[in-house]
Amino acid sequence: MALLQTENLSFRYPGAEKAALQGVSLSIEAGSFTVVCGPSGCGKTTLLRLFKPELAPAGEQTGRILFAGEPAASARPGAIGFVQQNPDSQIVTDKVWHELAFGLENLGLPVETIRRRVGETASFFGIQGWFRQKTDELSGGQKQLLNLAAVLMMQPRLLILDEPTSQLDPIAAADFIAALQKINRELGLTVLLAEHRLEEVFPIADRVAVLQEGRLLLHEPPRAVAPKLLSISPDHPMLHALPSAVRVWRHLAAGGACPLTVREGRRFLEERYAGVALPPPPVEAPPAGACALDVKNVWFRYEKESPDVLRGLSLRVTRGEMLCLLGGNGAGKTTALQIMAGLDRPVRGKVLLHGRELKTYRGGALYRHNLALLPQNPQTVFVKDTLRADLNEMLAAMETPPAERAGRMEQMAKELGIAHLLAAHPYDLSGGEQQKAALAKVLLSDPTVLLLDEPTKGIDAFAKRGLSELLRALTRRGMTVVAVTHDVEFAAEAADRCAFLFDGEILSVEPPRNFFAENNFYTTAANRMARGLWKTAVTCEQVAACCRAAEERL
Amino acid sequence: MKAFAGLHPAVTMTYFVLLLTVCMFLPHPVLQGQALVCGALTCALLCRRGAARDVGFYLPLFLLVAVTNPLFSHNGVTPLFFLNGNPVTLEALLYGLSLAAMVVGVLLWCKAYNEVMTSDKFLYLFGAVTPKLSLVLSMALRFLPAYRRQARRVSRAQKAMGLYAGSSMVCRVKNRLRVLAAMVTWSLENAMETAASMKARGYGSGKRRTHFSLFRFRPADGAFFAALLLLAAAPLAAAAAGALNFTYYPRLSQLQTTPAAWVAYAAYGLFLLLPAMWEAKEALVWRCCKRKI
Amino acid sequence: MKKWISAFVLCLLIPAVVVGGALLFSAKRYAWISLCVACLACLPVFLRLERGQSGARRLILIAAMTALSVLGRILFTPLPGFKPVTALVILTALTFGGEAGFLTGALSAVVSNFWFGQGPWTPFQMFSWGFMGLIAGWLSAPLKRSRLLLALCGALSGALYSLLMDVWTVLWADGGFRLSRYLAVLVTSAPFTLVYAASNVVFLLLFGKPITKILERMQTKYGL
Repeated sequence: MALLQTENLSFRYPGAEKAALQGVSLSIEAGSFTVVCGPSGCGKTTLLRLFKPELAPAGEQTGRILFAGEPAASARPGAIGFVQQNPDSQIVTDKVWHELAFGLENLGLPVETIRRRVGETASFFGIQGWFRQKTDELSGGQKQLLNLAAVLMMQPRLLILDEPTSQLDPIAAADFIAALQKINRELGLTVLLAEHRLEEVFPIADRVAVLQEGRLLLHEPPRAVAPKLLSISPDHPMLHALPSAVRVWRHLAAGGACPLTVREGRRFLEERYAGVALPPPPVEAPPAGACALDVKNVWFRYEKESPDVLRGLSLRVTRGEMLCLLGGNGAGKTTALQIMAGLDRPVRGKVLLHGRELKTYRGGALYRHNLALLPQNPQTVFVKDTLRADLNEMLAAMETPPAERAGRMEQMAKELGIAHLLAAHPYDLSGGEQQKAALAKVLLSDPTVLLLDEPTKGIDAFAKRGLSELLRALTRRGMTVVAVTHDVEFAAEAADRCAFLFDGEILSVEPPRNFFAENNFYTTAANRMARGLWKTAVTCEQVAACCRAAEERL
Repeated sequence: MKAFAGLHPAVTMTYFVLLLTVCMFLPHPVLQGQALVCGALTCALLCRRGAARDVGFYLPLFLLVAVTNPLFSHNGVTPLFFLNGNPVTLEALLYGLSLAAMVVGVLLWCKAYNEVMTSDKFLYLFGAVTPKLSLVLSMALRFLPAYRRQARRVSRAQKAMGLYAGSSMVCRVKNRLRVLAAMVTWSLENAMETAASMKARGYGSGKRRTHFSLFRFRPADGAFFAALLLLAAAPLAAAAAGALNFTYYPRLSQLQTTPAAWVAYAAYGLFLLLPAMWEAKEALVWRCCKRKI
Repeated sequence: MKKWISAFVLCLLIPAVVVGGALLFSAKRYAWISLCVACLACLPVFLRLERGQSGARRLILIAAMTALSVLGRILFTPLPGFKPVTALVILTALTFGGEAGFLTGALSAVVSNFWFGQGPWTPFQMFSWGFMGLIAGWLSAPLKRSRLLLALCGALSGALYSLLMDVWTVLWADGGFRLSRYLAVLVTSAPFTLVYAASNVVFLLLFGKPITKILERMQTKYGL
């Protein structure tokens, strides 16, 4: 039975030329797990919000939305649960227990009922340990789990989630997805999830809906998605966003059942190419050149009494290379970056930029034509009410002559593809656009060394590819880039060298192929599939290339 | 002070309200002295650290209030000496001492209050009277630490772009104001998402909200409540009956030594020691329990 | 109904408390009486919020503005006397009305005192800051038109806040109101009053416009 049904649903925002949704007819079965995906701006969020009457955007709507056979607007409050993207801004109250109770308080349930349901839900989600804590003291993953639990307190029949893991680190994201799967399997709750990180959710979905420019492109079981996309267009952009196993499969045009998980992908490769030895790839030479940034035996802690965060960190970054600093949560990655940016002073050791110690750059000289940091949250970069004003402020600080400012700004905006956004308010941009805009502001200081903190957080596969190309272009021009990231896939594709940080020190620095070949757990999905055969194949493209080479030898 | 802080918020609140009422209503030297001493004792029990700093703050304050009164007030009939042709009287000096005891006593008890009545207890009580306002307060309290963190992030991001330079006073003020202005946009944009999350969970669905909390009124709370009401009633009743009248001007009146007055002093003393005694009781129970195991 | 309650509280209850208190307690408990008056004065606006049908967005807006003004108070703790609370309360009132201003001011006092310490002075601060928001709301039309007036309003409300709080200091530390004592307190707190008034002017002149613009953008974007 269909729990949620749309019939020829179209929607247009007030004053917009193009419709945000066009003739979407979709039917969600009760108890199913459906993933909605598509590039940014495809109408995912609009569609999901229209399903939740309290959050439905204002605009011109035609077509019908039926929930359990009735118009969705007449559903009881709480029958449709909704979890948003940002873990922080969804929390209303200051205590965990109060946050859980909030929804039921709104429904006016008696205190004893609330007490019971709060207890039950808290134990189901393993919240007891932090039940009495302040919501502010939780980690991002805990916050999002709390949001999920608080929504489930209302006993919804349908759970809608709009990119719930985009702000989480990979481990927290996997935990969250596991919780979702548990809810779907054990409680039979219908789940509708919009997501751009598909590696984990794709295999567990019953159905995948792909949206493109406001239209429903397809709504199929996951295994049928790639073949369908290929039949629509052999180079459909959505193909780049699919899980690694699917991407390897489609590069081979091999036919047969499409593998979805690492396990299936591994079996797929081993069945075909077991025993085919390939000559080792040419050894990637570490980049040669002068040293741009030299971190020498740096020790750091935040308080006098607190434990050391960095313990003798040493790192030499060569001029014109792109270096990715990888590591788990709390390994000290962000701290290391802040120290390289001169925001914190090391307790011991020193940092040299172009052979000069950081602290000898005085009066802001460090941040002009030298070094720039793009923070994790691009919103911290903007202080003005239009993007143009923000960029102008930076040019003024750089003492660019007023006559040249407009030209310089145009040039930068064109390069980053944000020229059409200059008049917009920075907060009205999408996540990917905000990041580009922030990068534009940072790049206006004309740095030789660019530091990035989690640059791929919250942006989709297309924006990620764009970013990786942009960084390549920058390094080709001689800029040095250091990025701190959780994203092994991004590091494998974009980096010249990868460094692994653990417990405050660097354990290894190598070109990505050697780096990931030596790792067992901390490596890309493509490498985990292929490492039994070809250890140094790291990205999907490299695995596919190996497969092709193997075909020739067979 | 785990035991006293573990009482039901309504009980704790009643205790402090009654205490402050007596402190401010009955300017009687004995009661004031008791409140001052017991306040210091309770504070010492509650917040063991920082005692030295507290003495450094309260002692000068006590002296300041006590000494300045006779300089401004020339009532009283017993001049001690003359200053600029104005008499400094014994009555005014003693009245100053009593005022100082009151002010410092109230401050000490306020310190104890701040230690025990944490924001969640306050919100619970406040919410029983004004649920909406209490919700607003709860949200504000939740936002504040997040805002502080974000403000720090913004200022560091600006600094790393070279836009937060300069260490002069003007620069510092300007930088902080810039951060604050950026915070206004950020916070309100996020607040709208929070509003969406409230609506998504049925806020404003027209039903009357319930007021949920983890606090339970247990028998021990009842016992403490009864004790505090009884003990506080004694001085109030005595005062109403005129057994605690005391005047400073024009001349000092006699301190009462009637049975009623003695009962009032004793009851008030016990009342002030209730938190400390409750703590001692819990400590004893704990020790007995441990011995049995 | 709502208007009746506020009228009743403002016109009858407060004077009744003052007169009754003075008669009952032989005019010696000014501190206590003034405390009651401060609490009562906050009541009408609180009641209106409680009874009214204000949606989630309005509530959260007040919460956010409250947290922001407290953040301001915390950000500027190293600079004594420089507190943007009053200025933010005024700006809130200009865009969202006197009631929102009052609530922001009153709640800022409560919330910030969770950090700086609650005490009998809390109701006074609530009333003083709230009252400034209310007045700014009443005068929003002329204040929006002229920057000069806005700056003047900032200076006056800064001074007024000090004057009001000094009344409380005297009532409390003196057991009664004595003009000579009040003047002495005024003189000792004059530097703070000056910095306070001046900082309000600086804040409103520099950031009155941008922040109003931000608030108005939110108003149009989200229909507050």
